[in-house]
Amino acid sequence: MALNRDIPLVRREVLEGPYLLLTFRHPEVARDARPGQFVMIKAGASAEPPLRRPFSILAVDPTHGEFTLFLKVIGAGTRALDALAVGGLAQCLGPLGQPFTLPPAGSEALMVAGGYGIAPFLMMSRELTSAGRPGRVFLGGRTAADLPLREPFARIGMPLVATTEDGSLGVKGRVTLALGAYLDEHSRPATLYACGPDAMLHAVAQLAESRGLPCQVSLDPWMGCGVGTCLGCVVWVRKPGELRAKYRCACTEGPVFDSRHVVWA
Amino acid sequence: MGVKLAVEIAGIRFKNPLLAASGTFGYGVEYEGILELASLGGIVSKGLYLEARDGCPTPRLVETPSGLLNAIGLQGVGVRNFVRDVLPRLARHDTRVLVNVCGDTVEEYAEVTRVLDAEPGVSGLEINISCPNVKKGGMAFGGDPGMTFEVVSAVRRVTKLPVIPKLSPNVGDITVFARACEEAGADALSCVNTLLGLVVDVEAQKPRLAFGTGGLSGPAIRPIAVRMTWQAARAVKIPIFGIGGIASASDALEFLIAGARAVQIGTANFVDPGVYERVLAGLTDYLTRHSLSDINQVVGTLAYPGDKPTGEAGE
Repeated sequence: MALNRDIPLVRREVLEGPYLLLTFRHPEVARDARPGQFVMIKAGASAEPPLRRPFSILAVDPTHGEFTLFLKVIGAGTRALDALAVGGLAQCLGPLGQPFTLPPAGSEALMVAGGYGIAPFLMMSRELTSAGRPGRVFLGGRTAADLPLREPFARIGMPLVATTEDGSLGVKGRVTLALGAYLDEHSRPATLYACGPDAMLHAVAQLAESRGLPCQVSLDPWMGCGVGTCLGCVVWVRKPGELRAKYRCACTEGPVFDSRHVVWA
Repeated sequence: MGVKLAVEIAGIRFKNPLLAASGTFGYGVEYEGILELASLGGIVSKGLYLEARDGCPTPRLVETPSGLLNAIGLQGVGVRNFVRDVLPRLARHDTRVLVNVCGDTVEEYAEVTRVLDAEPGVSGLEINISCPNVKKGGMAFGGDPGMTFEVVSAVRRVTKLPVIPKLSPNVGDITVFARACEEAGADALSCVNTLLGLVVDVEAQKPRLAFGTGGLSGPAIRPIAVRMTWQAARAVKIPIFGIGGIASASDALEFLIAGARAVQIGTANFVDPGVYERVLAGLTDYLTRHSLSDINQVVGTLAYPGDKPTGEAGE
């Protein structure tokens, strides 16, 4: 159940470039959040920018009642959060949305992320490794500076394949190329998970389709409310047994959808 | 302590003067578990036609300074699905339900009204003659006094429920429309819907919203909405729900002092689901500070330059 609270920032860690980690105290989010869920959050009660912003939950610490977000500071909402001092309050509602469903036994979880789309996969990796389940992360970006969050995966022993389009880090090329190569070499059962730009999600969905693999994608349309009332974040989705696609709220029926149900633009 | 916040409008008793505005609170049930629906005076449903609608293409929302421009286009489940699936759930909460009635034609407004007329869970009907994001109906009706009269009359003929037209701010003189509604038999008015706006993507040289123009809401429009509420309140005898950018007790009080009997909170629902709790606490505090015992004592107390002072507040 999502809870609306004013929550204190307890820690901020600045990473390379425009990236940072913000840790807040919110016992319900820390206790209840599942991988792929998000919070709607805003720094303070200031008038600008008017709306809260959705962020995937990077990590939770139920013992201390804390959760952490991974931010790329790019606009007014993230700038305001960046300016929040430790001890300052944010307005937060969460956890929200439908989480990823972990793979069936014997199926390897292949998590494909573009840039800051890596956020939901740390919590998921922790769940997988602590359960002794196989998994692998494919993290792509234009250049090395787009991939600041690799070390936490190494720490928990989750294999991570980095790719950059300019070859400045890891494998040169798009992340879907590395994923395709991996699938070519390994014929064991796998479940694909993807979070990142729409074009990447669509490419991963096509790859999954061509290999006959199940695939869950986390969509990131512009959201106003996070609870299904503003109807700003709707996406065309057609579920089995439906004659035609319907506009569905990514905040409540997603952000995670079965890739076969999404009507790709 | 012990102040009275209840208001009565068009025979409907609301436990407090705060309602959730149409289009900003879904069908109400979306907020079950997030806030206590019984803490609201009432809920105005998302606009409903006879049939389900997809609404506008995306993008549908863009932030503006202290505001939000939207073109949702009345996506909805259709009135019969609402009656079957939503009304029974809303009945579990001790709050009033007003249904926002839409139509492409005068006949459709009357048809939707007939479906709702016999429903015990419905306290009143808000008539949407002011949505700026549909090609037919909506603002096309609310922008013409003759059509306004015709739609409200048609609804009036087929229901005994309170009829509350929601006025458009996209008109020159709102008093003309307020009077047309009163003459057509409206029981109250909602003032106002969103202001027509346009945000341009300068890199792409096209509108930021897929529909093109949209409706502007939020604190950015509040002074305009307060002014129109004040004008309408002076022009008609029927009571008024003030709407437009309310996010605090002070904002709500502006409308009440300007002549509204109750207010609807809109865009602030998206920003903070805790807004009702805050505003109610602020209203109670205001009454206490001013040694008043009843929120109705605040209504219409605006001392406007040049007006003769009135002895009693309200009526």
